[in-house]
Amino acid sequence: MDKDVNTGETQLVKMIVFAVGEQEYCIPILSVREIRGLEKTTPLPFAPPYVCGAINLRGIILTVINLATYLNVAPEPENPRRVVVIIEASDGTVCGLLVDRVIDMADIKPSDIQVVAEKGHSLSGLVMIGERMIGVLKLDVIAHELINGMQAE
Amino acid sequence: MSDSMDEILLVFFQECDEQLQELERGLSALEGGETDHDTINAIFRAVHSIKGGAASFGLENLVRFAHIFETSLDALRSGRVQPTHDVIKILLKAMDVLSDLVTEAKGGAGVDAARVAESQTSLETLHAKEDAPDSADSLIPADFEPVAFDFTPVPIDFEPVPVSFDFGDEPTTEGGDGADTALPIQVTFCPHKALYERGDDARNLLIGLRDLAADAQGEAEIRCDVSHLPVLTEIEASEPCLSWCVVLPATVSEDSIHAVFDWVSDVCDITISRGTGSGPDDGGGAGKPQPEHSTPEDAVEPETDVNGVVAPEVEPVAAVGSPASFSAPLVVTEVQPPKIEPAGVKVNLAAPPAVSGQKGERGAVKKRVEQASIRVDLQRVDELMDLVGELVIAQATLETVGLQHDANSEQEMARRINSMRTLTRDIQNAVMAVRAQPVGSVFQRMQRVVREACSLAHKDVALVVEGEDTEVDRTLVEKLSDPLTHMLRNAVDHGVEAPEARLAAGKLEQGRILLSASHRSGRILITIQDDGAGINQARVLEIAVKRGIVAPDATLSEDEINNLIFAPGFSTASSVSDLSGRGVGMDVVKQAILGLGGRISITSVPGKGTTFCLSLPLTLAVLDGMLVMVAGTTMVVPVSSVVETLMVHKRDMYTMPDGRVVISIRGVCMPLLVLATELGLQEAKGYSIPEKAVILVVESETGARVALVVEDIKDQAQVVIKSMEKNYRQIPGVSAATILGDGSVSLILDVPALVASTTERADGRLAEPASGIAA
Repeated sequence: MDKDVNTGETQLVKMIVFAVGEQEYCIPILSVREIRGLEKTTPLPFAPPYVCGAINLRGIILTVINLATYLNVAPEPENPRRVVVIIEASDGTVCGLLVDRVIDMADIKPSDIQVVAEKGHSLSGLVMIGERMIGVLKLDVIAHELINGMQAE
Repeated sequence: MSDSMDEILLVFFQECDEQLQELERGLSALEGGETDHDTINAIFRAVHSIKGGAASFGLENLVRFAHIFETSLDALRSGRVQPTHDVIKILLKAMDVLSDLVTEAKGGAGVDAARVAESQTSLETLHAKEDAPDSADSLIPADFEPVAFDFTPVPIDFEPVPVSFDFGDEPTTEGGDGADTALPIQVTFCPHKALYERGDDARNLLIGLRDLAADAQGEAEIRCDVSHLPVLTEIEASEPCLSWCVVLPATVSEDSIHAVFDWVSDVCDITISRGTGSGPDDGGGAGKPQPEHSTPEDAVEPETDVNGVVAPEVEPVAAVGSPASFSAPLVVTEVQPPKIEPAGVKVNLAAPPAVSGQKGERGAVKKRVEQASIRVDLQRVDELMDLVGELVIAQATLETVGLQHDANSEQEMARRINSMRTLTRDIQNAVMAVRAQPVGSVFQRMQRVVREACSLAHKDVALVVEGEDTEVDRTLVEKLSDPLTHMLRNAVDHGVEAPEARLAAGKLEQGRILLSASHRSGRILITIQDDGAGINQARVLEIAVKRGIVAPDATLSEDEINNLIFAPGFSTASSVSDLSGRGVGMDVVKQAILGLGGRISITSVPGKGTTFCLSLPLTLAVLDGMLVMVAGTTMVVPVSSVVETLMVHKRDMYTMPDGRVVISIRGVCMPLLVLATELGLQEAKGYSIPEKAVILVVESETGARVALVVEDIKDQAQVVIKSMEKNYRQIPGVSAATILGDGSVSLILDVPALVASTTERADGRLAEPASGIAA
């Protein structure tokens, strides 16, 4: 599973593209475990604002991150296509990303990604698919923040 | 290949640990005055087993020491040395060294050579007392009573010496003076393919012969005939090419030899003859001595016939002889010990008992991950199996009832579900019983801890152990070891006084620490009681003030003073010793116990001693919880911490000047916590306590009580503990989470942390994340 899209220059990486508010983002499809409808979450005390709460995924308890809040973008108004993308980071952390809608899949060449932030930032780069500008998310950074609460608190 | 070797080595180390426990038990019994033959034999067997196993893995340090240990024990066994107090002390020390050597072999910390040498010397002085001829006798490793080979699930039967068809290694020749000149018996033995296909192994037979020789106080000379061995490229792995020639002492009866081959007589060629004449397989012998095939004595040398052609292919020889190990071409000597399984089932999660023994590279044994395997009483597994069978039936009947649509089907359904509930609980208990382990295994290790602490602190303390059969969950057993070690060291170092002081106080010179375990109302209670001077409260308070743990003008109750020793950074020892005094001890112990969902309390009587009580849950997986509503969500409060539940009128609450609210329940005042705002799930501003509030009075392990305001009490249920930390972080005030009947997630409250926060917090938020219950 190649989650670090900056390595493996020549290989095409299959990405899943989804929308959060106006903006589109993508993550490697191999790190996606499943996609679920949004269900009722259990609020967690002292959670950072971007954490919606905890859900039960067949016996595993995981937290759902509201990507709109996390990325600080205005979310679309409530729509029936909101889904939770369950992802697994390379350290084994499982969490859910609440996105407004899943758009499609795309093959992306890692060399096409324009790096916009230094290491340790969750939005690592931008990539063009046709006319659309798509943000590339670093799941490991998100998971790390979730576990250690770097940004929050 | 190295993987399978590692696995076998792992099995060996597991067995070593068991043998060391056996040894510890035996020596304790010996110390307790049980000097009968059985006890001494058990001790002997344990050391011998370790030695035997270590030899097959080429762990030389271990073998050497075990051998000396064994020799001393042999002196004890034969009655030449009496098990006096001093002798036992030497043996105990030797056991500790042996255990360290095992750890070293595992890849752990190296052993101080001086300590080994010291123990070795003292052991040698033990058996040096015996007569010279006797000691020579006891040096022959094969010279054991048969009893030493029985009932031991360990590769004890392997001795590198007598069965040495070591091709590469220089044969060891210790004790090789038992030559039998008077017409020895020669057995030629050539296995057929069918023998291996049956799963038998020529080696087992050779071991049988060797044992015969050992019984006759002699040695078997075994040589391997490789003359029928084809060149490497033509070797058919499944075709046996080897035959053996075994020379046994004259005293061995032919009948007993036939008995060895009883089961295989139809699948091999055997000839038994008197004298050292040549066997049928010795054709065209060049008579050239081959060092690869040399035995301790080369008296029958000419028989060993090797065609020059074969020489380069010598290494794979053993592999061809035994197809089972063909994957291990480097194997030079491979002797699989017969495995005698004990009555219980050994649930081995990995490591199939494969064949082989490998020389070389043994020194570089890497540190291994602790292997998770448990021994379970067969009966418990059977019980579980029965219950699972019941469950299958229950499910079937439930389905049948579910399909019925008549008047009383609903009632019937309720009845079935009820019985299913009982069954589920039974299964849960049965699984817990499978995971349960007696605490004895940890307690036994503590003997050594106390012994070492004593020698460092120059005190004489006896550790008395009670209730070692008390069973708790395996994870708990493992995690108890560190806190107990710490507490016992403390007890020796600080608790028990120096011998002179004890005598002056009219006590026995030898201190006594009682370590006991028992079940009490669904929890396990462990007490550590010393008969020392007790806690010097004035001193504790003085130090606490000096270190800034308490304010100088604080007035504390006796209990509070006693509990100060759990404060971080506290130490009463005026100087830092090897044992304790760095002030991290009891704090860490308390954290560890809390982390296990346990409580710790302390009582102390000046001049009489100190008692620590640990109370721990039996399992870490399930707890009885009270389901309460907080800010619109369901939360779980462990029932064990709830003292009472009641409705309180607002007029019974008082707001303190600092904004805190206290409540008086039957004249006792306690702080009131509104859970919803406390956990930040509701804005504190604008929240007002309702006229009539539902209140849970909870208590932490220190006895401090807090009243929690909740919206409603819904139910009481058993909940399965799920970790939050795996995919999220620790939440202050929450120990773990669980999944409710409707599939939603519910948080389990960390009562001790909540209680502590009311006394520690400064700004209305919970202070530090407290330790939670690990799922």
